[in-house]
Amino acid sequence: MKFSGGVHPAYHKDTAGLQIEAMPLLHRYVVPIAQHLGAPGKVLVAKGDRVARWQPLSEPVGFVSVPVHAPTSGTVKQVAALPHPLGRPMLAVEIESDGEDRPWEGLAPPADWRRLEPAELRRAIQAAGVVGMGGATFPTHVKLSPPAEKKVDLLILNGAECEPYLTADHRVMLEQAAEVMEGLGLMMRVLGVTRACVGIESNKPDALEALRRACPADVAAEFTLLETKYPQGSEKHLIYALSGRRVPPGGLPMDVGCVVQNVGTAVACLEAVRDGLPMTERVATVTGAAINVPHNLRVRVGAPLLDVLAHCGGVTPDVGKVIFGGPMMGIGQFDMDVPLIKGTSGVLCLRDDEAVLFEGGPCIRCGACVDACPMGLVPSAMGLIAERFRFEELGDWHILDCIECGSCAYVCPSRRPLVQHFKRGKAEWRDILEERRAKTDRDAKRAETAATA
Amino acid sequence: MLVPTVVLSGIGLLAGLGLALAARAFAVETDPRQDRITEALPGANCGGCGFAGCGDFAGAVVRGDAKPDGCPVCDQETRRLVASIVGQTVQDRAPQVALILCQGGDDVAAKKYRYNGLASCASAALLGGGDKACSAGCLGLGDCQRVCAFGAVEMTPSGVARIIPARCTACGLCVAACPKDLIKLVPVEATIHVLCSNHDRGPAAKKACTVACLGCKKCEKSFTGDPRIRVADFLAYIDYEHAPDDPALAALCPTGSLVYRGDAAPAAERTT
Amino acid sequence: MELVLLVLSAILVNNFVLSRFLGICPFLGVSKKLSTALGMTAAVMFVMTLASTVCWLVFHGLLRPYGLEYLQTISFILIIAAMVQLVELALQKLSPGLYRSLGIYLPLITTNCAVLGCAVMNIMNESSLLVTAVFSLAAAMGFGLALVLFSGIREVLALADTPRSFRGTAIALVTAGTLSLSFMGFAGLVK
Repeated sequence: MKFSGGVHPAYHKDTAGLQIEAMPLLHRYVVPIAQHLGAPGKVLVAKGDRVARWQPLSEPVGFVSVPVHAPTSGTVKQVAALPHPLGRPMLAVEIESDGEDRPWEGLAPPADWRRLEPAELRRAIQAAGVVGMGGATFPTHVKLSPPAEKKVDLLILNGAECEPYLTADHRVMLEQAAEVMEGLGLMMRVLGVTRACVGIESNKPDALEALRRACPADVAAEFTLLETKYPQGSEKHLIYALSGRRVPPGGLPMDVGCVVQNVGTAVACLEAVRDGLPMTERVATVTGAAINVPHNLRVRVGAPLLDVLAHCGGVTPDVGKVIFGGPMMGIGQFDMDVPLIKGTSGVLCLRDDEAVLFEGGPCIRCGACVDACPMGLVPSAMGLIAERFRFEELGDWHILDCIECGSCAYVCPSRRPLVQHFKRGKAEWRDILEERRAKTDRDAKRAETAATA
Repeated sequence: MLVPTVVLSGIGLLAGLGLALAARAFAVETDPRQDRITEALPGANCGGCGFAGCGDFAGAVVRGDAKPDGCPVCDQETRRLVASIVGQTVQDRAPQVALILCQGGDDVAAKKYRYNGLASCASAALLGGGDKACSAGCLGLGDCQRVCAFGAVEMTPSGVARIIPARCTACGLCVAACPKDLIKLVPVEATIHVLCSNHDRGPAAKKACTVACLGCKKCEKSFTGDPRIRVADFLAYIDYEHAPDDPALAALCPTGSLVYRGDAAPAAERTT
Repeated sequence: MELVLLVLSAILVNNFVLSRFLGICPFLGVSKKLSTALGMTAAVMFVMTLASTVCWLVFHGLLRPYGLEYLQTISFILIIAAMVQLVELALQKLSPGLYRSLGIYLPLITTNCAVLGCAVMNIMNESSLLVTAVFSLAAAMGFGLALVLFSGIREVLALADTPRSFRGTAIALVTAGTLSLSFMGFAGLVK
């Protein structure tokens, strides 16, 4: 099934043919404690401590929280607020490598996932710090723990990789097909579902073929080649494309019986259980016109951006913008001291003339954004309202259903910064809702006291 | 002459009678105190109290949802009057004025990226805290100016907000609007201020802005044993309860973040 | 048939606001939001129909028999004022939100020339009671149509980049003029 809206940006998947290359060990890693959505963990190490590879640096605080682990052995140089890809300094552990890459003794023993109970698998996945590797970094064990009243019957493996430039998932599917499919089987066991769908965009038929061939006999998976259209990889659109189910506004995939997992996450889950190894590395695409030697890199989490760029031959002098993630939803970086983290699916280096700053013009009401919006919203009106600070009207336009995919801004002939308006608008509208709720509570309480008095 | 008089007064009488009946049918109970409070309030409907205008605030006071001295704008006398209407008393408060704790304009403060989004500080702050290299600096896009109902905020040519003390009513709206928490209400009489909010270490702060407080403690040391200026976390603080009044103090500051403002508007000149 | 023509004519061809330019005050005053415009329309419909009918009764039952036609204006105003007070009392009780948003414009219906004009027009045309009632209702509906159209335009206009010197009332007046022009197109509808 095809969703309405969406755009066809220039895909630039030039790195699709490059094998994943392991990044050599670096002298220094900066591991932020908060690399997932949810409560940051509690730091377990202090300055001067010796740590081993895969040793936990933090422990989870509550259910929606995962630990982070040391990417290599060495000494903790500092635990402080350091630059973070999300834009403001956050608590991080800086490790000076000792070059030995000595593994931690406390690792969980390898286990066969087919023999373990779902609860044990979930525990192992949380302890390994696995988060969604598509970029949203939601803790995977939480997604794999649907509440009892939500009946999940379908696991969807997301290999769409609809963002331009990125080819990390593509390479993982080609080179680690067996592990991806086994990881899928593992997650199906955790969820207790018998049906799984694998969705891959039509520009990667080789990946689909590789997965199909690698699929073990006991993993019941259906394979679908999807239309190549951005944002095909968005959870809601992938679910619709594969199952025809529509996630209700404000709802989660599990409301329609689905769970969506990225291919990289499947591998991480498998490694966490099969090898007992925590998530300390990921595959990231380093590409763009302003990087000298584009790569698909297996990079340890916490590797400083500058070292990664240097490994790829450095950036050209006309570099204008460095983005973590893809060009549509990625986050522009202004500090080159940031590390790569679990959610960094790519590092995109654009030339100055590609990253040209457009002066946003007035809305000409052409409606191109309305056609492009995959959620069926009216970005033009929402943008105009947000621009005039009339945030209390945004609820009427269902601002919270915006997935910030950037299709509207991509097609806008006036180059309006629509997504920025919506990010602000969503925050403001949530505040307004919060205030209203507080007021209703106050009124209810007053009515109660008045009734008793 | 008699007929027209009778006819007209007859119509009037009938209409009056009808209205009297209607008034009984549609009677709405309103607390007369609410109207009296509304009348006493400034009526600017600025929203500084957190309610939707003066009428709403008056209703909240009558219901007990708001303190009678909750109007930050009105003068002491009005506060006392409002309190007396609901049978309460209020504490006297020293008159205050808003102050922007940053003077890092484009001429002195560095930028870390080029921003071309919506001209609003809160939007810019979403992008890594804004384009100023200083983690605390004023973004200069005027969110405080926009919310001020009294026109008491101006933007300097170099792109920093500045309060016009004579117009400021200390309603606190700008304090809430600033995404960088740069605005503070300080006593009107205070003459010496630390116009910086940067907590970074000296070298980092200096790199970001030439008028940043470096946390060098020169000001603190000049007052040994006196807690009127303290440096904590690489930033100097004024203790406004015992604010010093000494122009020489500002001269000690190597960056000019400690400022003497002898010309601060006296309370009497403030418009309320 | 005659009544249908009368209604059409009052709503479209001889629209009170856009063709006769009566009742401009609330037209500009409460047209910022569609919801308030609808409330105002309802209030005006009530007042106009009732006031015109009562005025007709008073004129033909009281003033004319006694030869007091010269008291027409003052007595009509008296009646309209009473009606408006009635609406105000009712609204305050039944819909406090609307009461607040209409604000000063609610009592100002009293001096709304459309209401008085409607009453006077009925007398001048020597209309029957039925025609008076229907015509007043239709006129009020015409007023409502203009108000709702205008407020809809203004709601969208508020999102437009208006040149600084045109902002606020200026652009509202330009819009009203354009709307009025377009209503003149209906002039050929009824021959």
